[in-house]
Amino acid sequence: MAAQAKSGGLPRWLTSEHPLPWLFPVTSLLIVFGLYPVLYSLWLSFYKRNPATRTEKFLPSFNWNKLIGDDRVWDAVQVTFTYAVIALSIQLVLGMLIALLLDSDRKGFGVFRALMTLPLVVPPAVTGMMFLLMYDSSFGVISNSLYALNLLSPDKPILGTGSTALWGVIVADVWQWTPFMVLIMLAGLRALPREPFEAASIDGASSIQSFFFLTLPMMSKIIALAVLVRGIDLFRIFDYVKVMTDSGPGTATETLTAYAGTVYFKSANFSYASTVALATLILVLVVSTVFIKIFKIRF
Amino acid sequence: MKFKRHQKQSFIIDSANAFTSGRISKRDFLKKMGVAGVGISAYSAGMLGTSRSFFGNVAHAQENTTPEEVANFLREAGKPYAGATIRYTSEATPPTNVLNELKSEFTALTGINVEIEIVPLEQVLAKATQDVQGQLGTYDIYYLDQAWTSTFSPDTIDPLEYYDANPDLAMPNFDFEDFSKPLVEGICEYNGKWIGLPFDIPIFTMLYRADIFEKHGLEVPTDYEAFTKVAEFITEAEKENNIYGTGLQAKSGHYSLECDWTQAVWGHGGSIFGADKNFSGNDAEGVEGLEWYMNLLNSAPASSVTSTWDGQWQMGASGQVAMMQSWAELFPGWNADDSEVKGLWEVAKPLQGPASLRSRDNVGFGEIPNWGHQGGSSIALSRYSKNIEASWLFLQWACSKDIMTRCTLAGGFAPMRNSSYEDPRIIERKELRGAGTTRHLDTVKWTIDNAMASEPDLPIWAGVANNEIPTELGKLLTGQDYDGNAKKCMDQVAKLVDAVVDEAELG
Repeated sequence: MAAQAKSGGLPRWLTSEHPLPWLFPVTSLLIVFGLYPVLYSLWLSFYKRNPATRTEKFLPSFNWNKLIGDDRVWDAVQVTFTYAVIALSIQLVLGMLIALLLDSDRKGFGVFRALMTLPLVVPPAVTGMMFLLMYDSSFGVISNSLYALNLLSPDKPILGTGSTALWGVIVADVWQWTPFMVLIMLAGLRALPREPFEAASIDGASSIQSFFFLTLPMMSKIIALAVLVRGIDLFRIFDYVKVMTDSGPGTATETLTAYAGTVYFKSANFSYASTVALATLILVLVVSTVFIKIFKIRF
Repeated sequence: MKFKRHQKQSFIIDSANAFTSGRISKRDFLKKMGVAGVGISAYSAGMLGTSRSFFGNVAHAQENTTPEEVANFLREAGKPYAGATIRYTSEATPPTNVLNELKSEFTALTGINVEIEIVPLEQVLAKATQDVQGQLGTYDIYYLDQAWTSTFSPDTIDPLEYYDANPDLAMPNFDFEDFSKPLVEGICEYNGKWIGLPFDIPIFTMLYRADIFEKHGLEVPTDYEAFTKVAEFITEAEKENNIYGTGLQAKSGHYSLECDWTQAVWGHGGSIFGADKNFSGNDAEGVEGLEWYMNLLNSAPASSVTSTWDGQWQMGASGQVAMMQSWAELFPGWNADDSEVKGLWEVAKPLQGPASLRSRDNVGFGEIPNWGHQGGSSIALSRYSKNIEASWLFLQWACSKDIMTRCTLAGGFAPMRNSSYEDPRIIERKELRGAGTTRHLDTVKWTIDNAMASEPDLPIWAGVANNEIPTELGKLLTGQDYDGNAKKCMDQVAKLVDAVVDEAELG
């Protein structure tokens, strides 16, 4: 009674002293834009859609059986994993190397650190377009440089050849997202205590030894977090693929999300597209859960 | 390189003019300048997506010749809808680009605003698909490729019925009979219903560089065997000049590749579907057609496998290729004032034989095998539009005799209306060898009237033509799968397409 009187007759869980009103806006947004689409997709996946008649029939296992028997899905899983693993490895190694270079209080390094944010503000579709131009076999700076160095034949356009197209897309991703890794690593590096390094130095440890026996172990949680965040992003890659190759040539760059997009937008089979999208979500959840368990990440 | 530089300069000047005259915003102007800094060729290939290039001159259509009777009708009929805004999304086809320039005349007469959202073809499909799925009415008018006619048939209003049912909104002398009959049948008629009005007709013809043919004393090929021989000869003879015999629109997973393939199959006596409604591209004729097409890659630039029709236009404009069997709509741009190949390209009838065409009795889903693949489109009134009346007025204006003729005058592309061919201004320009020429239109009309081929009419065709077929063809052409074996590829396509047809219960 006293609490109600104090808050003008409202129950306590509706007052500013309770966390619920503060959580309400963001929870509502999550429900509307996160939970509802997932549930709606799940509902759709239980229906067999006939794109010709635009009718749906409740057949809960139809799309899921189709998914399992669809060779293109398995090809897309392979492409998605290849893409994610390669891009993540390069970004992680490059990110750490650049972060180590920029981890300095010397004059001018702050500018370099600030410059690292620039690629991150470019929309991925624009990055894709930029690389599309640079890969153009007639005037693209990257293609022509590779031709000049005899590393590539003009008969084999980078994005038009099965063996190079995926690499072409990965390079764009690496250009844009390595700075993200750099910034996270830098934040981690600059937060490390100085004392262990000073002690190691007095004991005669080399820089490489310090890096492997001190920096890396102390940074492990941060590295794991960075890998988790980027890994999830990479598993749902869409923009670069859509803009640069549209999943081609053939299905050489078709990731799971790109395939879901094709089924949705080209074939208008919304229920099967939802099933593919949900399968991607499940895959991401499984992989990230395993990763969290292995690396004992706590939020 | 010189040509590209020239194009870039023209682009910058045109953009600057558009900005100073208020036709584009400062933001758009800056965007264009940024793009010009990167490369104009890539602009049309990339930023505009897979649009069909337009390098015509809208000035040729600027003289307002709208008949007084039509202008008065629009003023009166448009009054109740003044202030309304109608929207549609379209590919950057030449007629759309011209219409986008002329639409202010419609707004001046009616007070109705028109927003045309120009995006690549695959996005037009995606947007229309979403709109009809949710019955949203975001777009009042749909731009529909002929391959989507049956797919969107339930979502549009029959213009003939609407015209008769709404005499107050019926434009005087609109004259439906004036539309080319083959075009109506091929582009916008499905199960006896008009789904829209014919708006654009790119159609396959033989396009060749007269100067190169003359230099080598070559006859223009008239059949598929001769085409291969000439393509191989030119590629060899012009090796030092880096000129290829032909250029293809063989981008994996893109509809353009499906169009090239379809014509190759028809041209070798095959068809997409048999009378039993099963995929028949894997029969002997179909495989022969595909093998013929694969062989052409040896006489075409490597960029063919990443090119759509836009890339093919670039090949012709940059002097990289000597001939192609492709859309006649590519031709006017090569004759633009700033073109380095102005007057050098000529048009001939599409390739015919030596195989005979498969008869219409032996194919399924209303497919029409013939020598000239048509890729026409219509503009249609959305059933879900919230501005049906205003949109209908715009649709009639856009497809009226005056505007359609002026679209041809500006862009040189083929008219939809028979009367346009007889217009003195069109006839006069047949003599021209530069910008605004109409010297290709006789061949185009012959092809429309005598040799026009159409893809099958089935509601799932948009998906099949944009997904299953070009994706598997892409795997074959780029060596990702099938070890160069056309039959293996076609058998797989047959499996996929028949499964989709069965799933849709159309088999």
